[in-house]
Amino acid sequence: MMENAWLIPLFPLISFLLLLVVGKQLKERSAYVGMLLTFASFVGSLFVLNERLTMPTYKAEYVWLTIGTMKLTAGFEVSALNALMLLIVSLVSFLVHMYSKGYMHGDERFPVFYAYLGLFTFAMLGLVLSPNLLQTYIFWELVGLGSFLLIGFYFYKEEAKAAAKKAFIMTRIGDVGLLIGMILLFWQVGSFEYDEIFTAVANGDVSSSLLTLSAILIFVGAIGKSGQFPLHTWLPDAMEGPTPVSALIHAATMVAAGVYLVAALFPLYEASETAMMTVAIVGGFTAIFAASIGLVQKDIKRILAYSTVSQLGYMMLALGSAGYVAGVFHLMTHAFFKALLFLAAGSVIHAVHTQNIEEMGGLWRKMQLTAPLFLIGTLAISGFPLFSGFFSKDEILIAAWNHGHVGLFILAVIAAFFTAFYMFRLFFLVFTGEARLDAHHVHESPSVMTIPMMVLGVLAIGSGYVQTPWFGAFLGEWLTEGTHWHAHEEGPSWIMIVATMVSLLGIFVAWLMYGKKALARDWLSSRFPLLYNVLFNKYYVDEFYGSTVVYATKAVSILCQYIDRFLVEGMANLIAATASGIGRLGARLQNGQVQMYGTVTIIGLALLVVIFAVTGGYL
Amino acid sequence: MEMETLLKYEWGVMMPEFIILGVATILSLIDLFMPKDRNRRPLALFALTGVVVALVSLLSLLSVDVTSILGDTFRLDSFAKAFKVLLFLGGALVLLLSLHYEPQEGLLYRGEFYYLFLTALLGAMMMASSGDLITLFVGLELLSISSYILVGLRKKYALANESALKYVISGGIATAITLFGMSYIFGFTGTTNIKEIAQYLNETVDLGHQYVLALAFFLTLIGLSFKLAAAPFHMWAPDVYQGAPTPVTAFLSVVSKTAGFVIVLRLLVSVFAQIPAEGSNSPSMLLSLQDYIAFLAAVTMILGNTIALKQRNVKRMLAYSSIAHAGYVLVAFATLSMFMFDAVWFYLLAYLLMNFGAFAILQVVSAQSQSEDIQVFAGLYKRSPMMAVAMAIFLLSLAGIPGTAGFIGKVNIFLGAFVTEPAHYVLAAIMIATTVVSYVYYFGIFVQMFFRPVEDKRKIEWPIGIIVVVAVCAFGTILFGLFPSIAYDFLGQFDHFSDFLQ
Repeated sequence: MMENAWLIPLFPLISFLLLLVVGKQLKERSAYVGMLLTFASFVGSLFVLNERLTMPTYKAEYVWLTIGTMKLTAGFEVSALNALMLLIVSLVSFLVHMYSKGYMHGDERFPVFYAYLGLFTFAMLGLVLSPNLLQTYIFWELVGLGSFLLIGFYFYKEEAKAAAKKAFIMTRIGDVGLLIGMILLFWQVGSFEYDEIFTAVANGDVSSSLLTLSAILIFVGAIGKSGQFPLHTWLPDAMEGPTPVSALIHAATMVAAGVYLVAALFPLYEASETAMMTVAIVGGFTAIFAASIGLVQKDIKRILAYSTVSQLGYMMLALGSAGYVAGVFHLMTHAFFKALLFLAAGSVIHAVHTQNIEEMGGLWRKMQLTAPLFLIGTLAISGFPLFSGFFSKDEILIAAWNHGHVGLFILAVIAAFFTAFYMFRLFFLVFTGEARLDAHHVHESPSVMTIPMMVLGVLAIGSGYVQTPWFGAFLGEWLTEGTHWHAHEEGPSWIMIVATMVSLLGIFVAWLMYGKKALARDWLSSRFPLLYNVLFNKYYVDEFYGSTVVYATKAVSILCQYIDRFLVEGMANLIAATASGIGRLGARLQNGQVQMYGTVTIIGLALLVVIFAVTGGYL
Repeated sequence: MEMETLLKYEWGVMMPEFIILGVATILSLIDLFMPKDRNRRPLALFALTGVVVALVSLLSLLSVDVTSILGDTFRLDSFAKAFKVLLFLGGALVLLLSLHYEPQEGLLYRGEFYYLFLTALLGAMMMASSGDLITLFVGLELLSISSYILVGLRKKYALANESALKYVISGGIATAITLFGMSYIFGFTGTTNIKEIAQYLNETVDLGHQYVLALAFFLTLIGLSFKLAAAPFHMWAPDVYQGAPTPVTAFLSVVSKTAGFVIVLRLLVSVFAQIPAEGSNSPSMLLSLQDYIAFLAAVTMILGNTIALKQRNVKRMLAYSSIAHAGYVLVAFATLSMFMFDAVWFYLLAYLLMNFGAFAILQVVSAQSQSEDIQVFAGLYKRSPMMAVAMAIFLLSLAGIPGTAGFIGKVNIFLGAFVTEPAHYVLAAIMIATTVVSYVYYFGIFVQMFFRPVEDKRKIEWPIGIIVVVAVCAFGTILFGLFPSIAYDFLGQFDHFSDFLQ
């Protein structure tokens, strides 16, 4: 099956083309076309993964273009990482296809939506099969296009239009870095092939300064796609797109592409300590930066968006700390639990028709499937013991600690606290307490929407067990086969305890602030009586936190938001203003009088001649 | 000249030129004797047939070795062959566009419309093949004068008159400057034959004359930048493009620009690459002056792309975009890499396809709405989905997005800037940065087509000629974007134009 892996991306492409042509006739039956074809991709990915478990990496390519002595190739490669990504992408994509059948029901552009989903899935699957940088770049851009179309799907809304444009342009800024880095590498190595690049790096054919430069430039591309600071601003805005899109693109696939790129080029990064440090610092900073912003948001999807940014920061931190397995592992678990959270959030929005969590409340009883599933996702992302996020986050913390990044380690621990806090704040506000809106019409979503959530729920719990300190590092051993990378990070056991404590603390603080006043007392005390009593006696800590820590964190997060809004966006605006300023100046010279045109020409000519005379020493 | 020598020439190599000349002459006679009220559209098909036959005859000449006739004034080398293929493609597409062109006040001189395209094309072909300053100049003027008339063909339309006048005046200035530069070259060498000039300068030039020779270089380059619509001679372009009939605008922005690059390469490379540079840091004078070309390329890219941001009139926007594209091609020229000819040729091919496609769609859409404002594209996806998708392909290609010919063209130029020694980082960086700027205005049209509600609910009629142009261009844009090796295999037979100076 591995030699036929190229078929996997073709199914969604067929779906895209088919729906473009006959979508109008099929109407909502388009969903079946999309589902069937992505399911075929999923089955194919399963077979490929199964085969790759026992067989070595498979690679096929042919010469695509010859310029002089340069040869550019095209093909595909099934490595362990690629096989894993294939499965994640095709599975989440299939589930989103299924979910959207319920969520997008009644939308007049229903077939178009499915066509776009097909295009995006094709691009993403193509991306994770690429054996060289050039092909990666092509699919990378195609992924960007798919995302642009999907974010702007509700184009009649001004915000959606602006968000689509912003996402496209912000990621393009990163792509410029990727392109330059890629070309620098090509110039040095003479090939875009991953294998040849790695061989050249290993042999020391690339000077260390250029290696660092190109690695960092490529990382700039990853920063853009994975919403890392300072190019993250597009991701929260991208929540204007339909919610299933957020689950597919902004949780599991496209934003993970940046992490994937760094992982796929890991030997390159490993060769440069500076590049590794950059990745780690950007990741660590983004993790806490985005988490602190998440604390004060009110829009359910925006909170999830900031949490995505923060979790991607974790993955970058892991990769930058030589934790290859940790980064990829968290990529996988995050894909499942974040997709689950987005789909569950979509289910909530579908029921209450608002995204403001302050207007929600008491939904636990009304949505008896969505609520527990959302809770599973929340527990997983908070790093609650025995859920998938617990194992992968642990691995990251140990990697950071082992690599000697103590400062970043502390940041990551604090970010873990924030994560637990804001996720449970979200949970309590939405599902517990008084119903804050007239909720007679609130009902559970149809089963076509809840089944994908259940599948993801199972994975959000179970996917952590492929790599645990207790049952062995199966995933790590498979991923690192044939390399010298650690299959599993051995770390002091107190790290796991600290991580657990921090996440429990976050949950507790959230409960004190948002859950306590209502039924929460019974709920917690019946399950964790000991913990409850200990914490109950510390009652005044609540107020203390309220007036100091929370206040301070709020201040920090508001500050961060201001940095975000004025400094980062300000700089972006400055660049845009410069371009349009030159444009205005040029347009003013264009006054419609032909004398002016002639004058400009003559002045230009005179200028060149004079400069030549002066620099050439003829005057 | 003796009759005998005249007969000895291999006139066969001029076959394509004779065909175009013959068809143009016949057309003008038919037009003269045809009754006034008769429909003159079939003439376009006749002209089109002529272009196709000429193309076929050119293809049959592909395997012929370098031949020069008429005392080395006309030469058929691989450079001439390759670029004439582009000129014919452009000519054929222009005729298809003009077949359906119908301004609101009607077109009084439709016959002239068609045969003037042919004479302009003939001028461009002569430029591609000339081996002498005189034929080069005559070709240039034949192209220019035909274009002046074409721009002003809508006699009753004020904007067209203004355009034509501006074009003539600017063209006059350009011609004067070019001729001034050529006169220096002639003054130095005493001959108008390019090959002899090159030989003479290479062997006997006094290095003390470097400054005057550089003056000649700058004068010719600036004068010729008029045809390229490159800085500092770009300002006529937006006004003229806007006022001219759309097929003529397409012609100016593609065929005329291609001819401009043909003459720039032909003249400047063969003459100035042969002059040893003073101080001998670089092997030739052209190389020592490449920074100046790079400077012009940078200014052209920056001006074209930034001013385009301010335009709401799509034709003006495409005019500035065409200035920007001239800048990209100038980058290839400035870097003077081994693949320069290949890169320029491929880019011009890609540009021909994507630009003609865009103009074809613009022609129909703007004619229906009687406006060229960007709003006429609003909701095009709803009105004609296929055409909107085709336009999207052209815009993506113009913006240089992977999967399109425009991307391959840009990559080639970009790689060319890196493989030379020393590499041109700054120039490459400016190219990338301005390309990013260009996304903004190309995607402006994108947004209109896909995301704006329909303004004008009427159904759009797509004439057959336009459909053919759009289909050919879209197919070519994708084909050469995915399989550029097809084009490179074609170029491969020319062996990097190694016979350029033979």
